[in-house]
This record gives sequence, C-alpha cells and structure tokens, in this order.
Amino acid sequence: MNAPQGKFPAESPDPGRWLDDHGDYLFKYAVFRLRDNNAAEDAVQETFLAALKAYKQFEGRGSERTWLVGILKHKIVDHFRRSGREAPLGEEADEGPEHREFFERPEPWQGHWNNDYAPSEWHATPAELIERSDFWKIFNDCLSPLPQRTASAFTLREVDGLKSEEICEILSIKVNNLWVMLHRARLHLRNCLELNWFRSEE
Amino acid sequence: MALKLYDKLKHSIRYWLLRTLPTCQQTVEKISQSMERPLSLRERIDLKLHLWICAWCQWYMEHLHLIRETARAKAVEPSDFVSGAGLSNEARERIRRRLTNEN
Repeated sequence: MNAPQGKFPAESPDPGRWLDDHGDYLFKYAVFRLRDNNAAEDAVQETFLAALKAYKQFEGRGSERTWLVGILKHKIVDHFRRSGREAPLGEEADEGPEHREFFERPEPWQGHWNNDYAPSEWHATPAELIERSDFWKIFNDCLSPLPQRTASAFTLREVDGLKSEEICEILSIKVNNLWVMLHRARLHLRNCLELNWFRSEE
Repeated sequence: MALKLYDKLKHSIRYWLLRTLPTCQQTVEKISQSMERPLSLRERIDLKLHLWICAWCQWYMEHLHLIRETARAKAVEPSDFVSGAGLSNEARERIRRRLTNEN
C-alpha cells in the first residue's frame, strides 16, 4: 500500500487498475491478430485472470505491461490452436481466394502475369505505413476473405515471426501445407493492398 | 548500328529466357518459399535470372518483404483500426465484474 509510485508489484494485485492501464492496449494487440472483437475480448479477460493466478511468480521483474503481453501471447496462440483443431483441413488445402486470373491461361504466355494483375511499383516505407490507420483497416479487410487457418498462419508468420515448426504445431498442419497457405495469403494480400491502397494513393 | 544489334541481341536473350525459365506463376511461389527455407542452387539461379528479366516479379518480391517488415514493425505497436480506442464499455465492465468476483 505504501510502496512508492511506479514501484511494482504492490503487495496485492490490483486487477481493476490493470484493466484501466493496459486493457485497451491488450485488446488492440489481440484484435490485430485475431481480427475478431469477441475473441479478442475473451483473450484479454483470460489474460487478466491468468495474471491474477500467476501474480506471485511475477515479482516485479520487467514491466507490468510486458508481463501481461507475454500472457496474452499464449492466450492468442491457444485460440489459434483451438480453431485449428476444430476445423478439418479439407477445403483449405485446395482452395483459396480465386487467383488463377492473376496469370495468363492461353499460350504462348501461359503462367506469366496477366497485365491487369501484374505488380506495379509501390512508393512506401514501413515507417510511413505504420502511422496510417486507414492502411491497417484495408490490411485487415484484405485478410478477412482468406480461410481462417490461412489467415492465422499468415499472422503467426508475418506479424509475430514464429518459426515454421511452431506454426505447424499450433495449427496442426504439415510444413508443405504451411508454405502453400503462406503463398496464397501473400499473393492475395499483395494484390488486395495494391488495388485498394497503393493504386488509390497515387 | 552496333547499338541496334546489341539491343536486338538483348531482346532475343530476354525472350529466350522468358520462354525457358520457370514462369511468373512458378516464380512467385519460389519467392514465397525463399522467405521460408534456403533455396537450392538451381532454384536460386532460376530465380535470379527470372528477376533479371522480369520487373513484375522483382516488384512482387520487394512487396512481400515490405509487407513482412511493416507487419513486424506494427506487431509491437497495435493498430487503431476497427474499434478505434480499444475495449468497448460493455466489454470493459464485463471483464471488471469478472475480475472482482475472482479476486
């Protein structure tokens, strides 16, 4: 109770203050990955509940937020793992968003870029894009039509930078499936960003 | 004259490579895999040559790396899209009640 300001932990946990201080941050962290408000709210709640249980082990090492984010990461992975177990691989293995029009069908240029979908030059840097909330809205919308597991694989790999083996274990897939999913996600997302962001920016 | 011949030669080589090398459709799949595993020597040579003659696939590869770099930078700084400020009031109160019961 009499601990100086900012010194952590206090003698007893104060989950109400955690919620005030970190609730929004944790929610945004979760919704960016799960792309589902309900699932993100659940993950935040589970994080605080787990934090209450594990409070004794925390002992004020590192910052409170880093500690909470560490717990949240596990909750997000649990969510991906559950949805991976529930959905059989089935259709995801062979289907994705339509992309065969991206490439020419008839000879002599079969398999080469179709003019309408061929990439064009982008003028952007990560630093600029990070600041643009409208870009992230489009980024999110572009991932939405992908099959659930494909989008999860993309997020775990490209946002969180997990290793292939870890992702395969979480989503219960083989590494070849993972590569196919990542390829489809990238092909689709790149095109969607180009059409909805980069071309309209010019 | 010599310049014209050079251009013609360059054009023929380019055309020949385009017809001989893996197509763009095959190349973009390799580009994606190059972000997941080390490519074999043969794959690397094919990719290099294809990129040398194909600006589209070059851009494609740059874009994938830009997307990765941007997404990873954003990973630590969560986004403000969708629900703007963060937790909705209902969700906040629901979680607060749950935590009070538990504590």
